[in-house]
Amino acid sequence: MQVLIKRDQLNHAVQHVLKAVSTRTTIPILTGIKMLVTDEDMTLTASNSDISIECSIPFEEDGEEIVNVMRPGSIVLPARYFGEIVKKLPEDTIEIDVKENFLIQIRSGSSEFQLNGLDPEEFPRLPQLEEEKVFSIPADILKTIIRQTVFAVATTETRPILTGVRWNLHNGSLSLVATDSHRLANREANVETSEDLSFENIVIPGKSLTELNKILEDSDQLVDIVITDNQILIKYDKVLFYSRLLDGTYPDTSRIIPQSFKTEMVLNSRMFLQAIERASLLAGESKNNVVKLTSRPGEEVEITSNTQEIGKVTETITPASIQGDEIKISFNAKYMLEALRSIDSDEIKIGFTGSMNPFIIKPTEHDWITQLIVPVRTN
Amino acid sequence: MKDRVIFLADMQSFYASVEKGDHPDLRDKPVIVSGDPERRSGIILAACPIAKSWGVETAEALWQAQQKCPHAVVVRPRMQRYIDVSCQITAIFEEFTDLVEPYSIDEQFLDVTGSRRLFGDPLAMAQKVQQRIMEKTGVYARIGIGPNKVMAKMACDNFAKKNENGIFWLTRDKLETHLWPLPVHKMFGVGSRMKRHLNNMGIRTIGQLARFPLEKLKRKWGIPGHILWMTANGLDASPVTPGTHDTQKAVGHQMTLPRDYADEKEIKVVLLELSEEVGRRARMKGYAGKTVAVGCRGADFDVPTGFYRQQKLDEPTNDAMDIYQAASRLFDRFWDRLPIRSIGVTLTQLQSDEEYQLTLFDNQYKKRQLGHTVDMIREKYGATAVIRAVSLLPAGQALDRAEKIGGHYK
Repeated sequence: MQVLIKRDQLNHAVQHVLKAVSTRTTIPILTGIKMLVTDEDMTLTASNSDISIECSIPFEEDGEEIVNVMRPGSIVLPARYFGEIVKKLPEDTIEIDVKENFLIQIRSGSSEFQLNGLDPEEFPRLPQLEEEKVFSIPADILKTIIRQTVFAVATTETRPILTGVRWNLHNGSLSLVATDSHRLANREANVETSEDLSFENIVIPGKSLTELNKILEDSDQLVDIVITDNQILIKYDKVLFYSRLLDGTYPDTSRIIPQSFKTEMVLNSRMFLQAIERASLLAGESKNNVVKLTSRPGEEVEITSNTQEIGKVTETITPASIQGDEIKISFNAKYMLEALRSIDSDEIKIGFTGSMNPFIIKPTEHDWITQLIVPVRTN
Repeated sequence: MKDRVIFLADMQSFYASVEKGDHPDLRDKPVIVSGDPERRSGIILAACPIAKSWGVETAEALWQAQQKCPHAVVVRPRMQRYIDVSCQITAIFEEFTDLVEPYSIDEQFLDVTGSRRLFGDPLAMAQKVQQRIMEKTGVYARIGIGPNKVMAKMACDNFAKKNENGIFWLTRDKLETHLWPLPVHKMFGVGSRMKRHLNNMGIRTIGQLARFPLEKLKRKWGIPGHILWMTANGLDASPVTPGTHDTQKAVGHQMTLPRDYADEKEIKVVLLELSEEVGRRARMKGYAGKTVAVGCRGADFDVPTGFYRQQKLDEPTNDAMDIYQAASRLFDRFWDRLPIRSIGVTLTQLQSDEEYQLTLFDNQYKKRQLGHTVDMIREKYGATAVIRAVSLLPAGQALDRAEKIGGHYK
């Protein structure tokens, strides 16, 4: 294999696939990036136990030549070194030449590297997916709905299924749910799909989605998503992003989200967020980050936090509207902050059903997103 | 820091002295407090000075002690009584100062800096304290006096215990003349291993350690090295904190089994009973813990086996089943299948149970209510009013243990 390639495009592709390179693995070949050059195209592939990423580099872009193939072929490059080398090479163009015994020669300007590669035949093949369940969604929307849910996944492995985000699709409406059992994030979105497509209980590892979001850009370019029983494939621009799905049944969350409330209030998002941030300065020291919210009908909403050894803080906010019973409720400030930051809306609506029950936070402008928080019980 | 006046009061042969106080007829006889050899807890917990003069040592086996002193009166420990007397002694100390810190069951720190106006100079005050304890409990207290806690402790261990009147005041000017010539292992915080390390560095006396370059000690041991040097120089800023024993770090239960257990099912019974007890005690003190640890020791003394392992939980808990499930998982993973002699369960990373995060899929509140209800039934009708059905199996220890404290009869 011998090619000439533009450094910026190569670097861009390498940075994408690096997200799937295993840093800790017992299988040495997975620490590498596979480069495949045919007469038609060039691809880079990396894979770990959770995700695989394939990124293609076009031979030509906007009339400019990106890749010049002298001799097609393939090689597995040591990812850790190759990634750093490509970033630092001096010239715009790089020559990669694979010699006998997988010896790689990389030349750019007056700089020349020799790297030991690995046998491309040993590199695992990407899964072949049946493209039956396919739908499309703009990249920026996909990025948003992932951001608005993925933070709520469980980080411990006690219930492995909760480390993923559950996707359901019915009647063209995609529903994402994530919960660590202390809070829950729910996001709905319309997608482009054939009328009869529906699926349930597709649980994608939170880590996979976090990596995917680093690749997605804020563009309205359509992303095609293929769902199978144990894999999901996301096709975006020149990238194919595969992730395994989590085994098991995601708990039924449909009845957890309350529909009617004893107390409802509308607050300015930014003011409320800042008040919670201030209160949590002192709450941070206690284990549960506890902040208390108190409100009586017709009065201001009071936010307090009290840690005996440190001190206390009290702050009032005037709600845009408030109705129903008085409420006194404690919750983890961290969950509230993350929920508020995920809702892009000037005003939010909070609905309570008593101080021992979960409460919800929604934007006032639309119904697409629901954040739920389970309170802290205080004696 | 300004020098304070700190007492460390140590109760001579505490358990044995309590027994003698309660049974005046034993006053002039060698008395040994020992566990029950039938239940394999037959080691010497305490020996009175008369028994010690025959060579009896604490922590040796009962049969060894009896060989040295065949006419010794062997008494079974009554743990609740010792705890009660220890609390009674704390109450006596509190007549002199509000700053009393129980350090162990038979050692307590007192900060009497502010009490001198009321009770006179430290030596006279110490004498009064000593008299009061003797009158009230029959226990002989030795009192070390110093400008801070480590000096008081070293004054007691090295001088007061050997003094005629059981009192020694280690003032700063006596540091060089009295403390420094002592071998380094006489210093508080230096065990046999540390003694070896220090000796290898050419440090044989406390004085040599005190004059050793601090930087070298810090480089070798970090902060612990710094503390060693400070102790040798009689420096210690730690306050006497009443209630140190109230803010606990762990709740644990360990027991030596009446026979070796080799059957997994039998061991699990004990594991559940221990979890139950740990949960109960955590609830009683208003704690929930985030880490569960299990330790066990193999039966064969010649081939020491066993493990101590811990696991972090998602939620702090004080529920017996939560603790048991974690303990059980740990046990399954680390048990080597050899018979075991003793086993213990510990709940650590304690935090107040006053507030706790509720969860979506598990009713924390109900679990706690159940636990507290069972606790209340037991408090009213006795520890065995409600027990788990498995405790009725031959492996069960709950009924037997209900009569004991720390594995010894109350």
